[in-house]
Amino acid sequence: MRTGGTFGKVSVFLRSFLIQGSWNNRTMIGGGFVFALLPFLRRVFKGDEEGFQKALHRHSEHFNAHPYFSSLALGAACRMEEEAEDPEEIRRFKSAVRGPLGSLGDAVVWVGWRPALVLGALTLALAGAPPGVTVAFFLIGYNVGHLTLRIWGFKAGLERGKRVGDSVRAARFPKIADTLAAAGVFLLGGLVGLAFGKALDVFSWALLLLALTGGVWGIWLGSLVGQKGWRWSFWAVFATLGVVFLAGWFG
Amino acid sequence: MDLLTLSLIGGLLALDGTSVGQFMVSRPMVAGVLTGWLVGDPVIGLLIGGILELYFISIFPVGGAEFPEGGPPTVVAVAVGTTMPGPAGVAFGVALALLLSRVGSVSIRLLRRATGRLVPDPVRSGVTPARVVWAHMAGVGLDLVRGFLLTLTGIWVGLGIAPQAAGAWPLGMPGTLTLLAIGASIPAGAFVGSLGGWRKRGVLFMAGIIGFLLASIVL
Repeated sequence: MRTGGTFGKVSVFLRSFLIQGSWNNRTMIGGGFVFALLPFLRRVFKGDEEGFQKALHRHSEHFNAHPYFSSLALGAACRMEEEAEDPEEIRRFKSAVRGPLGSLGDAVVWVGWRPALVLGALTLALAGAPPGVTVAFFLIGYNVGHLTLRIWGFKAGLERGKRVGDSVRAARFPKIADTLAAAGVFLLGGLVGLAFGKALDVFSWALLLLALTGGVWGIWLGSLVGQKGWRWSFWAVFATLGVVFLAGWFG
Repeated sequence: MDLLTLSLIGGLLALDGTSVGQFMVSRPMVAGVLTGWLVGDPVIGLLIGGILELYFISIFPVGGAEFPEGGPPTVVAVAVGTTMPGPAGVAFGVALALLLSRVGSVSIRLLRRATGRLVPDPVRSGVTPARVVWAHMAGVGLDLVRGFLLTLTGIWVGLGIAPQAAGAWPLGMPGTLTLLAIGASIPAGAFVGSLGGWRKRGVLFMAGIIGFLLASIVL
């Protein structure tokens, strides 16, 4: 069996941190995928220039996945190249995994893990933690999960090759994503409750009533508009702040 | 802290946002505290970054979606906001960051178009190792320059307007925070709505409010 060696695999893993460096609308992270595999492919196809060129071509094609979960596809691609798998089989594998690796990563990391940690850190800050502790809590907590996911994914890909789907199914990511989403919603409620509790001591009743009324309307509006909610709040708040500044300027 | 150093930090945070690592150093909360430390006021940095974090909470960069940028605009917000009196600085910093986050989004779209022309096209042209490495590193370099320029321009424009805006803000800190909290309630609602909606998550949300409210009163 041809081999990319330990150095080649370590290089692929380290380069996977840059996989989105040439993100574009045509090949998405295809350029990053082949960039990450390059040192490994050089070793696997040592003395076989034609094979090396073909491998470069097939791995620079369109590919997309969540950046952390792409380590899983990279690991599996390494295994398949070492086993001299049929190139069409490698293409089919990459086409098959890009959708699931994208949606799983979005659900587990962007929708679950990151907001939960952000809201946990903000709750900590509101409870009186100094800025350094707040940031350390978030960065350490977040990156323990982040690096674990990358390392697990790359190892699973290397070990299982094209059967890496079994490892993904065994990890029960949808269940993890649902639990993290629930934790995020609970912590968001906690943050609102804690902020209101703190404001009781400092704010006037008129401001508390305004915050309560405006907040309820805002939450209702946000839940109606869903994913587009940030656009509404960005422009609405920007315009409101601008109007208040102008009112102060002329008043 | 000089303008070029802050701009370089903005560039490095832009890289963390998409191109390199994604260790989340570019999140508004982290960028805010980091910039706050550099300009001598990490508490205001956390306040501005924390408020912006709430506006970003419902933004999920799924697939190839365009999304507002958080890192460099937060550097600008804190760098400019700390030159003004408390409430005016927070309000002006947040307004500036919200505007720049959209500018950042447009600049990312342009960057992706430019990078699309650099990366080798396996259908049309030959793919060589040198071309792969060059195109990829050029993409990373362009992103760094983009973040640098966004931060530099933002701070420069912000510092130009700040002296006029400083005296124009009529609200105290409680009024400012109330206004910003009402604005942040829209993405908060969007967050709950996106994560299963009120029927599925409403009880948990209310449990969080009541539990933490009671805790803050009792403790």
